[in-house]
Amino acid sequence: MNRLEEFKYELETCFGTSCGFCERGCPVYQTMKVKTLCMKGRNRTMLGLIQGKFEITPAVVQAAFECTLCGNCDRWCSLKNTEHTRAFREYLLRHGVEPIKEHSSIVASIKNYGNPWFQPRSARNRWTKGLDIPKATPGKQEIVFFAGCTSAVTKQLNRSLVASAKLLKKAGVEFATLGQDEPCCGSTLLRVGQSEAFKDLAAGNVKKFKSLGVKKIITACPGCYVTLKKTMEDAGAKIEVVHISKEIAKLVREGKLKLNKSTERMTYHDPCHLGRLGGVFDEPREIVRAAANFVEMPNNRYESRCCGAGAGLQSAFPKLSKDLAAKRVAEAKATGATTIVTSCPFCETQLRTVPGTKVVDLMELLLDAVEGNGRNNNSKKAP
Amino acid sequence: MWGQGKTSKQTKSFDVRFCGSIKLLYRHSAPKSQDMAYIDELISALGKERVLLDPSEKFVYGADWSPRTPDEFVPPDVVVLPRTTRDVQRIVKIAYNHEVPVTAGGGLTGMLGGAVPIYGGIYIDTTTMNSIVEVDQKNQTIRVQAGATLQEVNDAVQPYDLWLPHQPESKWVSTVGAAIACDNDSTFGVRYGKILSCLLSAEIVTGTGEILELGHRKAHFTSSGYKLKDLLAGSEGTIGVITEATLKLEPIPATRRIDMLVFPRMGAAVDYLSRLLKAGLCIEAAHINCKRRLKFYTHSYKQKFGKDPEIPAWAEALLAIAFAGDSEVVEAQRNYALKIAKDFEAQLVEERDIVDAWWASKYTLDFEPFKQKWPDSQKQKKFGAADPGVPVGRLEEFYHKFIQVAEKHNLEIIGMNAYLEHPNSIGFSLSCAVFVDYRNPDEVKRFREFHDELSKLAVAFEGTMSTFMSDTYQKAPYLELEHGASLKYMKDLKKLFDPKGILNPGKKFPREDGPS
Repeated sequence: MNRLEEFKYELETCFGTSCGFCERGCPVYQTMKVKTLCMKGRNRTMLGLIQGKFEITPAVVQAAFECTLCGNCDRWCSLKNTEHTRAFREYLLRHGVEPIKEHSSIVASIKNYGNPWFQPRSARNRWTKGLDIPKATPGKQEIVFFAGCTSAVTKQLNRSLVASAKLLKKAGVEFATLGQDEPCCGSTLLRVGQSEAFKDLAAGNVKKFKSLGVKKIITACPGCYVTLKKTMEDAGAKIEVVHISKEIAKLVREGKLKLNKSTERMTYHDPCHLGRLGGVFDEPREIVRAAANFVEMPNNRYESRCCGAGAGLQSAFPKLSKDLAAKRVAEAKATGATTIVTSCPFCETQLRTVPGTKVVDLMELLLDAVEGNGRNNNSKKAP
Repeated sequence: MWGQGKTSKQTKSFDVRFCGSIKLLYRHSAPKSQDMAYIDELISALGKERVLLDPSEKFVYGADWSPRTPDEFVPPDVVVLPRTTRDVQRIVKIAYNHEVPVTAGGGLTGMLGGAVPIYGGIYIDTTTMNSIVEVDQKNQTIRVQAGATLQEVNDAVQPYDLWLPHQPESKWVSTVGAAIACDNDSTFGVRYGKILSCLLSAEIVTGTGEILELGHRKAHFTSSGYKLKDLLAGSEGTIGVITEATLKLEPIPATRRIDMLVFPRMGAAVDYLSRLLKAGLCIEAAHINCKRRLKFYTHSYKQKFGKDPEIPAWAEALLAIAFAGDSEVVEAQRNYALKIAKDFEAQLVEERDIVDAWWASKYTLDFEPFKQKWPDSQKQKKFGAADPGVPVGRLEEFYHKFIQVAEKHNLEIIGMNAYLEHPNSIGFSLSCAVFVDYRNPDEVKRFREFHDELSKLAVAFEGTMSTFMSDTYQKAPYLELEHGASLKYMKDLKKLFDPKGILNPGKKFPREDGPS
């Protein structure tokens, strides 16, 4: 039985109910207004496909891949909709559909370079220069800071990693990094339907962290956070995976960091992987509240709207992806906030594609406040 | 290869981003019969991106929320995505010229197949027409395209401290046009009525493609002419496609108090409500549930406590009641209502979690994260209902009949809910609900027989067959039972608006009976 068949009962349940609650928060449906592109329609498409009502067509593939897997539909439903969609993608690839060109490139890059962005492995070392962070060696450290491919190999995003490392040090956390040996977590493989490739990668990752004697992984990337967490849990590895906001908020709460609070009005954009899928909502808000004049967007926490970057949408459907970003930025601007704070390299990059948008990483914001720069004068401009 | 009209499983190499053009090639290369020539005209009129022809796309639009087996889809021949009234006019004119059925739909949450295109043809997805045309704060009205959801309307007017009180449970998905065409239910009917009480004016496209405005602009009522606008409520798109509407808004009440009372009999709850109205109280919502029905609404209670709420063994009816307005007024009305309750052997439900669970289900939809009652409560069997109306004094008698009929058809009973849906009166919609094992064709058949039997019984009770789901194809064969000789006038009326019988054929009247 293929994985889609395993979900047949759930697909029939969705068909039987047909409430359509998934439509309201679905960023793709609300932009495209085509029912095949909301979860109710997608579940029906899957059901029709396994019932043999039609064959795989370009529209079927479109229904499977024009989705950010943001999980907003899961908020309103007891069915595992994002899992259905992932299974849908796998089903199509197993039934002869060729991967979307950009997704193939990502897979090839992860295989050859250990990251999705065709960057040499050595690029992972760049952000650590001058920070004097030890490299992980077997049995020498308990905590590893996991940078994640995107932030590590993208120069413009290195600052968030530097801020994370500096804050961990200020907090007295002893940690190491894997430098250029840091693997990809495989999040992207999972989202574009490459489950077999993911399984191999995940098994290697578990082995690697176990051999290093790691007890705890701290990461600043939400995609890495949920993927590594699930990888370790599924493998039964006793390695804790924590998002950096949880680690650092604790220090803010305990008053261990002295902050120069900004008066600037800022809002916080929940990355889907960190919030809805990872359950981390409060700590980032604590940090923004401590560092700036925080204002909430109407759609927040579980109801936060996706920025449009996820699950291969940004690479394969750039226009739709940008439309989604523009909607989210408009919502942020309507609050009167001048800066959007977020904690995800994908969201950060994506929201910045909207002209005139100031986006700052959560750890950068906090480090600025700790180092006394603050943002009172709004002097720091978005790149 | 795609684009050559073949469907070999070995040839699936394509770039999905160019699906639009590939699909077009595929469409054009598909065998084209003479009677499908209208599709080219639709593409010319709307552009290829707004005409969906792929079998998988059409399939998605082929079912609503009504109980049917999982393989029972009735897809249209083509789905169109209009943006404007003019687009709808172009579509209907093409349909008129080619005599092709046209079915307009919104959220596809109908519970009796009203917007399912049972004769194929063109399906107009009106949800692509969801613009807010005008919010008139001073006159407390809104003009919207018919595809806006009821929630979108409320999101638009909330900043002005106004709201549209027509609130079915499906409000996040149910559109303005569909709410009018289906004449669906509202939680706050006893104070504000249903959608027709809010509808001041509506724009439609008739079956010939003519654009008409029906109603009285922003005036609340009229004594002029015939009230053609009122024909739209429950019309199911059979006399015109609704494209825009002007709706009356209300100020948002400052506070609301919701309570639940248990009664030894359903009739006692009716008597109590009658007494409250006589006393001059302004009730905002009133719903009489039978004891069994409450369990369907308290899913979040069960999530929280792992059990169903406990109701006294003697209680047979639960009345949920709301008052809204300024807090002093609300408190005074509530206190008076609770004082009178003692005269009717009623007892207040003190456990707030029960009341909150019911209210979450009926209105706030504020369920536990990642959970909500509908799919979770319907994994095995789904909700199915008949929607009759009976005279106020015969509620309890009809309730017992409902139980008998459901048992006769061997259906698991969810229970009855009587929603007060007429302003300041005890007129109710009845939701006589059962669980339907929709994977079992025989049970689906038995459900339909149950539905028909109750509908006909309601007429015998001096009531009506339908109060919130309309007639659809289900009641069409026996509509004469309700309307007698006046049915002929209804058919003639439809013919006036839709001479070729292309608008949602098979609904209200069997196709062979209607205009052709």
